[in-house]
Amino acid sequence: MASRTLISRATRIKTKLETALQAAVLEIEDVSYQHAGHAAMRGIEGGANETHFNVRIVSSKFEGQNLVKRHRMVYDLLSDELQSGLHALSITAKTPKEAGVGVGTEKE
Amino acid sequence: MARSLAHTIYKRIAALPSAGSSASGSFYQGILRFSTTVPSDPDTHEDFRPTSKIENSGVSLKEIVEQDVKENPVMIYMKGVPDLPRCGFSALAVRVLNEYNVPLSARNILEDPELKTAVKSFSHWPTFPQIFINGEFVGGSDIILNMHQTGELKEKLKEIAEKQK
Repeated sequence: MASRTLISRATRIKTKLETALQAAVLEIEDVSYQHAGHAAMRGIEGGANETHFNVRIVSSKFEGQNLVKRHRMVYDLLSDELQSGLHALSITAKTPKEAGVGVGTEKE
Repeated sequence: MARSLAHTIYKRIAALPSAGSSASGSFYQGILRFSTTVPSDPDTHEDFRPTSKIENSGVSLKEIVEQDVKENPVMIYMKGVPDLPRCGFSALAVRVLNEYNVPLSARNILEDPELKTAVKSFSHWPTFPQIFINGEFVGGSDIILNMHQTGELKEKLKEIAEKQK
């Protein structure tokens, strides 16, 4: 039971993106373990921790923006995290229309 | 001997498809074995550096990047080299681009932290790989994969691929 006193990076990412993008869907998955043996990750204390995330965002703020701009919006919002050890994000950024959510078409 | 040669190969721009890539594979493995201390390689003797470090050519790193993207129709700044990517995202981008029969020019940003910084500020993009097509920044691995899936990439690379025939 390793209880963490600090708020996890995943939570901070979620909060930041949620607030700024008013996301209809926001999924964050910590995949740092997949990159633990990664060249750049060696030597980091405790191994790769909270360095790699998959982020899936559906937001109407992406409307009319190409992919580069959408990704830049996300990176800009997370610039503090990127400067403090966040290494990489895999981003899926869609508008509600593209994702087909919000009009009763949600599957699961 | 093999190491210094491998270094020279590494520092130079790696153009694909390269002749004799199977032969150079052994060098890459040598590098892999030795370079547990990426990005800098403290084992490398100072004498080897001046000849290969790009900022010694009298041009600024920003100019190098400008020139790279202007002269190379498909330019990728990545971790590792196309034959041996050092990161899953870089590997993915190379794999996608290799589908299109286009010459791929690459620089390994793990080899040069200053180049890494220069590329980041050039593109205003914080992560690697970074791909430029016909001088235009197109994004990282997520975007290139997406463009591959939508057919946009095929369209974008069409002319470049045709010139190869």
